[in-house]
Amino acid sequence: MAGSSAPQTLPTPTILPLGDSGLLVRFDTDLSDAANRAAIALTLALDRTPIAGVTEVVPNLVSVLLRYEPGVGSPAAIAGELRLLLYALGDEAPQTTHWTIPIAFDGPDFEAVSAALDMTPSQFVAAHNAGSLRVLATGFAPGFVYCGLHPDELLLPRRTEVRPSVPPGSVLFAAGQTAITATEMPTGWHVIGHTDFANFDPTAEPPTRLRAGDTVTFEATP
Amino acid sequence: MSAVLAILRAAPLTSVQDEGRAGMLRHGISASGPMDREAFALAGQLGGAGNGGIEFTTAGIEIRLSSGQCRVGFAGGNFVVRVNGVVCPWPGSVELAEGDRLAITPGGAGNYGYIRFDSDIAVAPVLGSMATNSRARLGGVDGRSLRVGDVIELKGRGNAAPVAPARPAEPESGPIHVTWGLHADLFPHGVRQRFVETSFVISSRLDRLGVRLDDPEGVFAETAILSLASDAIVPGDIQILGDGTPIVLMRDHQPTGGYPRIATIISADFDRFAQLRPGTSVAFEPVTVEHAHALSRSRQT
Repeated sequence: MAGSSAPQTLPTPTILPLGDSGLLVRFDTDLSDAANRAAIALTLALDRTPIAGVTEVVPNLVSVLLRYEPGVGSPAAIAGELRLLLYALGDEAPQTTHWTIPIAFDGPDFEAVSAALDMTPSQFVAAHNAGSLRVLATGFAPGFVYCGLHPDELLLPRRTEVRPSVPPGSVLFAAGQTAITATEMPTGWHVIGHTDFANFDPTAEPPTRLRAGDTVTFEATP
Repeated sequence: MSAVLAILRAAPLTSVQDEGRAGMLRHGISASGPMDREAFALAGQLGGAGNGGIEFTTAGIEIRLSSGQCRVGFAGGNFVVRVNGVVCPWPGSVELAEGDRLAITPGGAGNYGYIRFDSDIAVAPVLGSMATNSRARLGGVDGRSLRVGDVIELKGRGNAAPVAPARPAEPESGPIHVTWGLHADLFPHGVRQRFVETSFVISSRLDRLGVRLDDPEGVFAETAILSLASDAIVPGDIQILGDGTPIVLMRDHQPTGGYPRIATIISADFDRFAQLRPGTSVAFEPVTVEHAHALSRSRQT
């Protein structure tokens, strides 16, 4: 059939205890596109069909954390329900939002990153903004999002040194991803620019705007 | 019922807490809440179960009731408490009238103590909770620690009549129980063995985010695990930094992280661990998740 993509099989996860009040459904130990897609698909399914006894569902880069009350919730019963849900899980396109996020490429590491990738600054900006990325996860700090995955020619490891503090709205780059800070924090990622897009507002409900699975294109501000 | 209290003395990590800001991990926010939940609950029962409370550290705290009246309950660790200069039993509760001073000074045990009242702490909730998150700088009073000169209003009426203090239970001792961690399989067998056979020491580098352990035997000195995909963290996780330092992640933990975690302290032993002072020797004993649940249930009865 023209235009249809072959059905993708989601990776089979490992269900692991995380302490005595969490189960982690881990689709891979390394960051991969398939594992991230699966984590997002499972989260959406759990949001739609909650499992009794689960108090919180948290999507991560390659896993989903399910929390329960120790001594109250039964991890065996939760894992049983999870298996039912996992085997019914298709690679359906989730209801997501597309965002266009402006970036000023004025970060302290911008030129060094371009050079490390054997590109001129303008080539790097063009390559960085070329594709549509996925919000892989929120984590580490309030409203901190990981977007990816960039193609292999944009792979660059983190810096060896940690900057003690970068301001909210810093645009970070490393490990095939672009991340955006929403609070002041230390980082070992390359700081390539900043954005006025604010992803965290503690007075809003929900307090963050970008959700795992949303798509993002970046646009250079003049 | 309303009252106003003034903070006359507060150590750096004094904060407003409630049961915690659960459900916000997907937004990158850990739940916070009291480091010693049982002590927080006990202070609430003694005081009359108003919402919220003040968590203070080893140095104690001093407050003055600048207007109104209230009952205050205090618990956690072992501190010395004086009302207008007169020593009262710890844990316990007293009625405060306008002008009364409550002074809590260091005692024999514990890192954290709590004062709670028969009315609610009037602090605006942020994302459903007044708990201060020292990492995200959210909640409490402007997301920060309390300091001298702060004024806290108490409003409304508590949720229950205050109870009389029971005879304090004998402090528990013995190893801290853990379940094996998310990355236990990545540590060599010999390191896992030594982890459960060796004593560690609570270092002086501890706060609401985490407790660094001294590892005098060098259990993790040779550990070299390559970087991992960042994954979910829960309170009690014992992560090993690249230089081999073990850190136990506490209530204001980062929500995700990429360091390997060998074990997780069980819920029933978390409070006891949080109260261990710097210099205390600590050993870890692995148990099953089922055993951890049984211990949780036995504590609730």
